[in-house]
Amino acid sequence: MGMSDAWVLPLLPAAAFVVLALFGPYLPRKGDWIAVLAIGAVFVLTLPIIADFTDALALQGEDFAGVANSIQWMEVPGHLELNFGVHVDAITIVMLVVVSFVALMVQVYSLGYMKGDARYGWYYAVISLFVASMLALVLADNFLLLYFSWELVGLCSYLLIGHYSHLRSAAEASKKAFITTRLGDIGLLIAIILLWRETGTLNIQGIIEAAQAGEVGREILTASVVLLFLGAMGKSAQFPFHVWLPDAMEGPTPVSALIHAATMVVAGVYLVARTLPLFELVAGGTELVLAVGLLTAFMSAGMGLVMTDIKRVIAYSTLNSLGLMFVALGVGSPAAAMLYLFTHAFFKALLFLGAGSVIHATERQEVGQLGGLWSKMPLTTITFGIGALSMAGLPFLAGFWAKDEILVALLENKAAFALVLVTLPLTAMYMTRVFVLTFLGEPKEPEAHEHAHEGPPTMAVPLVLLAVLTLVTGFVVFDQVGEAMGFPGGIGELIFLEHPHAFEFEVWVTLASIGLVALGIAGAWFAWVVRPELPAQAMARLRPAHALLANKFYLDDFYQAIIDRVVLTTARMLAWFDRNIVNDTGVNGPAYTTGFVSYLMKFQQTGKLPNYALAIVIGVVALALVAFSLKA
Amino acid sequence: MEAVAQQIPLEHFLVLSAILFSIGVYGVLTRRNAVLIIMSVELMLNAASINMVAFAAYTSPAAFTGIIFAIFIITIAAAEVGLALAIILRIFRNRGTANVDEVNALKW
Repeated sequence: MGMSDAWVLPLLPAAAFVVLALFGPYLPRKGDWIAVLAIGAVFVLTLPIIADFTDALALQGEDFAGVANSIQWMEVPGHLELNFGVHVDAITIVMLVVVSFVALMVQVYSLGYMKGDARYGWYYAVISLFVASMLALVLADNFLLLYFSWELVGLCSYLLIGHYSHLRSAAEASKKAFITTRLGDIGLLIAIILLWRETGTLNIQGIIEAAQAGEVGREILTASVVLLFLGAMGKSAQFPFHVWLPDAMEGPTPVSALIHAATMVVAGVYLVARTLPLFELVAGGTELVLAVGLLTAFMSAGMGLVMTDIKRVIAYSTLNSLGLMFVALGVGSPAAAMLYLFTHAFFKALLFLGAGSVIHATERQEVGQLGGLWSKMPLTTITFGIGALSMAGLPFLAGFWAKDEILVALLENKAAFALVLVTLPLTAMYMTRVFVLTFLGEPKEPEAHEHAHEGPPTMAVPLVLLAVLTLVTGFVVFDQVGEAMGFPGGIGELIFLEHPHAFEFEVWVTLASIGLVALGIAGAWFAWVVRPELPAQAMARLRPAHALLANKFYLDDFYQAIIDRVVLTTARMLAWFDRNIVNDTGVNGPAYTTGFVSYLMKFQQTGKLPNYALAIVIGVVALALVAFSLKA
Repeated sequence: MEAVAQQIPLEHFLVLSAILFSIGVYGVLTRRNAVLIIMSVELMLNAASINMVAFAAYTSPAAFTGIIFAIFIITIAAAEVGLALAIILRIFRNRGTANVDEVNALKW
């Protein structure tokens, strides 16, 4: 297995999907073992690809630009050439590791979590399809395959959010997620078409090179970069498209861990990181990314503080993280963004799986109904705690290194730097809050607490593995560790080749961030442990602010109003036009007219022969008269 | 031929054929018996033949064009009568009448 054989990876889970979708009900255990085996094989096959990659890196150093392998799909000579192919470089390697490992963990975890589910087999079929599409998405060397997989992961997301389809809320959440991301996807599609029209190729590297050579007009390039970013914003749930992600928590929790934390939602980050040279060519391109990322990170930090559903709190923390990744991209540091993406995948999946463990044990997910679970579920408590502290940014956990890298990258942009600093204590605060309310204190519902228990080993093992990774992945930032793992240049080589970028360390930045995080944790500890009556008082005091946050800045209501007033009104008008003008007048009108005229004319068919004969004679005489008069 | 042409002008033949044709048309329009209608049609055909022959004799006596036309008309008339009588016979067998007013199944 070398890098050019990477096209095999998506085919394994795709085959698993076909087998499960067709024969799932007839297989023992509904075929879940096929899905797990397929993703396990993908993970194993990823290892030689990484080895091949490090070899190539050692040989060629910074000149190594990745390996491409593509086949022609169809060709219209002189007009169009469509290729399907894979492109493996450092950024792909990072994504491959994240996708295959987290998917494996989640599928193993689901063996326990989804046990007894009515649509167990279908769940495994769709999640296999998702893994296949996600792998194809990160391997694609051209926009066509990328867009194809982009839509497929969206479809799988839709299917899995709506997995509990008997719940109206789940059905609506899946619809909301699909439609909201579609809005951005249309932008991506238009951008791809524009870039193809200008450069004549769909190959991503080809388009970037053509744009850098100035072959794309300035206006077209600007438009396509903005549209491209719209697609990334939709998929990565950036403001103002962020509304779908918290609702997506209606899906099964392992799905939230895989799709809505570790992989699919970072597809937008991946896309922008891939096409960052295009953003840098456009005036204001990176600034747009920066602004959107900042706004998202800032808003979600506030909203995470007041949410009462354990999964929703984590969902807002995901928004927060995604915002930070875009901030890093916006200041031109894809290395920091990819490092954050890499570490985030592990600790966020860990958080979701921990939350899943709680939900599995208590069948409750409102923090107001939980509490005191540490005595019943010590393993979940410890692993969730590690994840929460990593998200908060406590030193030496995975999230800490990535977050500091982003801060260092931000140093030159004072305003953005200050804003990100403000979100740090907020993040620490809501993560501490959700941990405290769920696992510490007194059980709020003794009955639920009574029956709480740790999950089966299939659920415990992924938790432990992810927790270990959360503890250690951060250390890849040190060149020595990176080199020990086979990456000659340490983190810069591991994360992003085209911008060699070693880990930077600013003592005062680190101290400041540690201080702010500690402040947040201490504040949360004080408010929810030492003086538990304080939050209620603060809430009463700050009712408008709380209402604003709890109602998600009223954005959902705003969108609903737009849909009701504008979209539905327009739709009704168009429906009226379609029904009355197009259908009744345009299509049925001629038909009715023809019918009516036929009705009038049929009475001349008397069936009496002399009538016909008389008509013929009159006709002939009339024609003769006409002929004579014309001649005269 | 020469003598006839000097004694009787062309107009007489034309008037004769016009009268014959009109009688035929009148017969077709007023008769109800299918056989009589066929006979009237024969009158019209013969009127046309007279026209052809007369014109041939008066305008281009050397050529036989008009006469050949007349022979064709006679042939067609014979075939037409054979066909029409067969049809009428079938109708009579089926419906017990040859009155065209009563054969009116094909109408709205």
